[in-house]
Amino acid sequence: MLKNCWSLVPAALLAGAVNLAAEAQQTVPQAGLRENPSRVHALENARIYVRPDLVIEKGIVVIRDGLIVGAGASVDIPPDAQRWDYSGRTIYPGLIEMFTQAGLPEEEGRQTSGSTYWNPAVRPERSAAEAYRVTETEIERLRKTGFAAAMVVADRGIFAGSSAVVNLGSGSPNQNILKRDVFQHLRMKRNRSRTYPASMMGVVALMRQTILDAQWYRNAHTAYAANPRQDRPEDNDALAALDRVAAGSQAVLMSVDDDHAFLRAARLAEEFGLRILLRGSGHEYRMLEAVREVGAPVILPLDFPRSNDFSVSTPEDALDVTLATLRHWELAPGNPGRLHRAGIPIALSSTRLDNGAGFHERVREAIEHGLAYEAALAALTTTPASMLGLSSRLGTLDPGKLANLTITDGPLFAENVEVQDVWVAGNRHVVTPRPVTDPRGAWMAVLQGDSLSLSIEGAPGAPKATLDKDGNAMKAVRMMLEDARIAFSVEDEALGEAGVWRFSGSIQGDRITGRGIRPGGESVAWSAERTAPREAETKDIPAPADVPEPSALYPPGAFGRASAPAQPEHLVVRNATVWTLDGRGKLEHADILIRKGQIAVVGTGITAPENAVEIDGTGKHITPGIIDAHSHTAILEGINEGTQAVTAEVGIGDVIDSYDIAMYRELAGGLTVANVLHGSANPIGGKNQIIKLRWGAGPEELKFSEAKAGIKFALGENVKRSNWRILSTRYPQSRMGIEQIIRDRFQAAREYQQAWDRYEALEDKSDVVPPRRDLELETLQEVLTGERLVHCHSYRQDEILMLLRVAEDFGFTIGTFQHVLEGYKVAPELAAHGAGASAFSDWWAFKVEAYDAIPYNGALMHDADVLVTFNSDSDELARRLNTEAAKAVKYGGVDEVEALKFVTLNAAIQLAVDPWVGSLEAGKDADFVIWNGHPLSTYTKCEQTWIDGRKYFDIDEDRQMRTEVEKERTRLIQKLLRSPEADEESSETEEHAPEV
Amino acid sequence: MALLPRTLPGTNPSAKTAAGTWQRRSAVPLMFLLLISGVVFGPLVHEATASKQKPSGPQVQPIALAGGTVHTVSGGVIEGATVLFEAGVITGIGIDLALPQNTRVIDITGKHVYPGLIAAPTTLGLTEIGSVWATHDNIETGNVTPSVRAVTAVNPDSEYFPVARANGILTALTMPGGGLISGLSGLIAMDGWTTEEMTLVATVGLHVRWPSYRVRDIPGLGGPEEQIKARRASLARFRDAFREARAYMIAKEAERDGGPFHPSDLGWESMIPVLKKELPVFIHASEEKQIHAALDWALAEDLRIVLVGGADVWRVADRLKENDIPVIIGAVHYLPVRRWEAYDAPYTNALKLHEAGLAFCIGEGGGASNVRNLPYHAATAAAYGLPKDEALKSVTLYPARILGVEDRLGSLETGKDATLIVTNGDPLEIMTQVERAFIQGRPVDISSKHTDLYDKYRTRLDQVK
Repeated sequence: MLKNCWSLVPAALLAGAVNLAAEAQQTVPQAGLRENPSRVHALENARIYVRPDLVIEKGIVVIRDGLIVGAGASVDIPPDAQRWDYSGRTIYPGLIEMFTQAGLPEEEGRQTSGSTYWNPAVRPERSAAEAYRVTETEIERLRKTGFAAAMVVADRGIFAGSSAVVNLGSGSPNQNILKRDVFQHLRMKRNRSRTYPASMMGVVALMRQTILDAQWYRNAHTAYAANPRQDRPEDNDALAALDRVAAGSQAVLMSVDDDHAFLRAARLAEEFGLRILLRGSGHEYRMLEAVREVGAPVILPLDFPRSNDFSVSTPEDALDVTLATLRHWELAPGNPGRLHRAGIPIALSSTRLDNGAGFHERVREAIEHGLAYEAALAALTTTPASMLGLSSRLGTLDPGKLANLTITDGPLFAENVEVQDVWVAGNRHVVTPRPVTDPRGAWMAVLQGDSLSLSIEGAPGAPKATLDKDGNAMKAVRMMLEDARIAFSVEDEALGEAGVWRFSGSIQGDRITGRGIRPGGESVAWSAERTAPREAETKDIPAPADVPEPSALYPPGAFGRASAPAQPEHLVVRNATVWTLDGRGKLEHADILIRKGQIAVVGTGITAPENAVEIDGTGKHITPGIIDAHSHTAILEGINEGTQAVTAEVGIGDVIDSYDIAMYRELAGGLTVANVLHGSANPIGGKNQIIKLRWGAGPEELKFSEAKAGIKFALGENVKRSNWRILSTRYPQSRMGIEQIIRDRFQAAREYQQAWDRYEALEDKSDVVPPRRDLELETLQEVLTGERLVHCHSYRQDEILMLLRVAEDFGFTIGTFQHVLEGYKVAPELAAHGAGASAFSDWWAFKVEAYDAIPYNGALMHDADVLVTFNSDSDELARRLNTEAAKAVKYGGVDEVEALKFVTLNAAIQLAVDPWVGSLEAGKDADFVIWNGHPLSTYTKCEQTWIDGRKYFDIDEDRQMRTEVEKERTRLIQKLLRSPEADEESSETEEHAPEV
Repeated sequence: MALLPRTLPGTNPSAKTAAGTWQRRSAVPLMFLLLISGVVFGPLVHEATASKQKPSGPQVQPIALAGGTVHTVSGGVIEGATVLFEAGVITGIGIDLALPQNTRVIDITGKHVYPGLIAAPTTLGLTEIGSVWATHDNIETGNVTPSVRAVTAVNPDSEYFPVARANGILTALTMPGGGLISGLSGLIAMDGWTTEEMTLVATVGLHVRWPSYRVRDIPGLGGPEEQIKARRASLARFRDAFREARAYMIAKEAERDGGPFHPSDLGWESMIPVLKKELPVFIHASEEKQIHAALDWALAEDLRIVLVGGADVWRVADRLKENDIPVIIGAVHYLPVRRWEAYDAPYTNALKLHEAGLAFCIGEGGGASNVRNLPYHAATAAAYGLPKDEALKSVTLYPARILGVEDRLGSLETGKDATLIVTNGDPLEIMTQVERAFIQGRPVDISSKHTDLYDKYRTRLDQVK
């Protein structure tokens, strides 16, 4: 994986600020009189965090002209300084928000002017700096949370534009923009409408093609500038804006919302040599190693799940809460700490919290769950500054830095601590207005010669008072404090008259003088002297508490594994009925010896090494692992990129979902390999991905790396949109048009290759505009050269013949026809061409084109020497493909061994993975299934499923896992129900109330 | 095959087999699913052809199936026995049976005799081609359509009948779907020239579909609040309907007793036998919360209840047992509904009901085109622990009992209908062939559109070779 080179060493301190002019420079013509307030400040008596790891218990910060002159215990206060008493306060370097849309326009129409990219989701030319407006409400909200600077990031589309760093001050953008064009922001978001890309694989393909286009644009225009006497490359704002990204000199901010998006982002970065940082998902703790390996800094949202996000209080509702959800609820607050301890640079962000609400509370939770306090501070100051390349200006209170300060009334993030002031570039912004006077404390009052004690407590601006006369405590009501004026009422006979006494007075330091009105109406004088100031409450710095350790299970929910299953050095299965499916077909009382994941010998009376792990197969049947030639298991966010008729550039390999529980369930039915296909919405769909069901492995490890590449095609009703609600006008609308579009694309691919060949043959390419790389046509070119197999969804005999002839015209052989429901009608032609046939065993009549589907299809094609498989096209049916094979015996009398090949060896051959899997022969991968009976019997169940000599499913281990799942659910639900917020849980219990 | 959205009734074959979809049907208004599935409502022309197989007339000659193994289901297995039937009814089972003079004796030595399998529920005869709306007659417009009767719309020439009976399914409950109160199901024999000839029981019960409590993230369904609101409205509509029906019944009774005239309402009229417990109500519900709520309601209404359910039925087994409520397990072949649930939860549902001592039978998902796979649902339940004889009963005797036709169907006993099959093995095994079938003593043609096309293109192969 790519190592990102992020330097987090604090920038050298500035030796001294230089300011030649007496006034700040401005380009705006002066209107009216100049205003020149003092720009020199001394903030005294405060606790000061100069840096996250350097605290001065009582010190001074001196500011001049928006910059810090010094911060420390003994800093000279310049004579011209305006002095601020910050006793009882703590001063931090101004916090930096790393991901906000503050100041950017809410809505933005589709751009129709300028030379844009063809796809509206690609808008890299958008500049946050250009769009930024100083929006007081949003800025105030950020300052309220303690932020003094922020990175403003456009958050729409896929290439969302470049970000900018701004100071959160008032005035104009001119005064506040610190840095423009910081990162290009890429978002892994598919288009939910019917425009490209509607699938995640389309998103990845679009990202790839766009980056390639940007690289081409750079080269093309360089060549064109050198020699304008050639076909002029187009002008394109978007591609021009990506110039620095294409050159690798601008870093890319990738927003990821889940674990797989993170992995995809990392792969893209590696593929294109991009320098990235991430806006993370909050789930990074699940794949700490991978995140560390990528080495990119992570901006972390703190939207930890709340216990009232889901309902567990009624047992029935709790059923629908997954274990993964419960685990994440428990572990999410530990995420920042875990990343930090793993050495991954993190920034904490208030993004994804409702207007930033509860940010401090979440940071506190993160600290309680293991994030060191200094690390939390660093994640809001020095680390963001470094990520932004602004360490010389932001992040600490060292001399020469911008005077951005965050000032609180206690340790930041502690309970009840509030941000008081935020200073931005030397300008003070009041967040929590400070009362002019603070009357809190113990007072001795004198009223008509009597002494009373008066105690004033409560919040600074909303005090509460109690009077005490000779042990009679009296509560003051209607208490009011406005600046230095205080007023309250008391009703107590102990004062000497029944009724309400009213008092008012002025506070001057530790003395109050005023008058009271007795219930009877007479005016009396009163006064008070403060005898003791309010006891300052000490607020503790938040500290780690009991931190739950995450289980290392992968996938993170139910039935995850702690590690890959062991691969015994030697493994021998004894005395079983072994369906070898090689020339021997089926052996009784046979043994299999496996060495390091590969089959060594299959036969009878095998001698095994002494250390061999032994399995008694008496009474059992062993078959090769089942192979599903048509699956849509484990695909993330869209199995069709159906927005265009041709999408050869997209690939399932980019969107493998390693968490899909369907894989585990399929293992429990003996499945070991699946051909994961794009859907059938377009004539030329996307690239397929063959996977081995190595449950617990990541998406890349699931891939059957030796397998031949392939692509999905489709014909007939789906492609024509025949059964679609919205009447489509997309080409093609007829089977005639389907033939034409496929032909045209292959011709285009051929001509594309010719263009490249001509270019490559040039002796001097330096001033020749190169051909543009086209990922769609490159994929099709691989079909033409035979490197990539076509798997074509098809029903009717005419369309099957059509594609055979197109392929023959272009000189390649179709890999498989999928479904191929009328294959039996053209079985000899299929055989002559050499195409495989992969069918449903017995589905029919769901569409007009499926009305002639018959379950004898497999047998008829088999008898015509077509290589036949039965597939599932369903996560459910994929669990029972062994009995699907039995249907070839039932319908058409295929021999049992041949029938079993329909879901094993034949599939392996069709997918060109037969050198490794499909039969039990020496040298092949040890992918096999142990059944408790005849594999074609409906009464048989799978007991063990092995892949690469590792046991991925075991019926007994499954029982244990269920018990653990139940136990873990119970523990977490209990914990959740007892958590503080659980009381607020939104409940639907009234649902059961009968309605009359 | 996969085309977004993936779970379309009609366009995706998995909808025909997956109970997940079947459960969803009971929860989401079907019309809506059809809408999002993009079924074209326009005048799509489909040339519906008649199935070729000809029904035979009523049994006139006694038939004896001799020398086979007789699986009576209710009374054990008899080797080398004879099954005799006359005028459509079994008149003897045993060894050394005295046969009437003109008996046609069919030697089935080495073969097996079983009662015909019973599929419940299905939409057989009411639908033909999934994606062609014109061929769907199982859903009426509106959420409350209690009076519509399935047997009035059964197409005897549906190709589905020969295909199903070729695999031993000789009787089916066919039902209306959609909405909240869907209508009345009927029991049909898979043979006959006309709908009337096929009908065994014109009105079996009223099918109601309890709204789902699950909030779904499906475009078009709206947010959680909207969905909860819609569910409450559905529940109110549900209760209102039954209250209205009762009020109507009282008004009509009062009229009969000399009270004022009350104009007719076909809907409420059709519910009177249900309210009087002459007919059962088939409640379709699969989630635990849904089932409890439905039971709370149905028990308070004092109805005869049959639960047609899926995933969570076993969680409610005790309560069902306590109230003697029989269960039709909608299907066995579907995926666990929750990620954390055991992979075999759908497979072991029947076992758990069996262990709880509940009356239950097994369906195949409420479809039509592949009702032929019914026995394999039962077999999977057996693979995962249900005793094999119970599995067989769950598609023969038990559905007969739950549907109220135990006196005629479900086992091989003297006096019952001669609706039976001859096989070369266990009909719950895929590799077994059904070789003969009789419905009320009439020999049934077990060819189908599928065998016809098989024969036709076998000929092409022979010619090419």
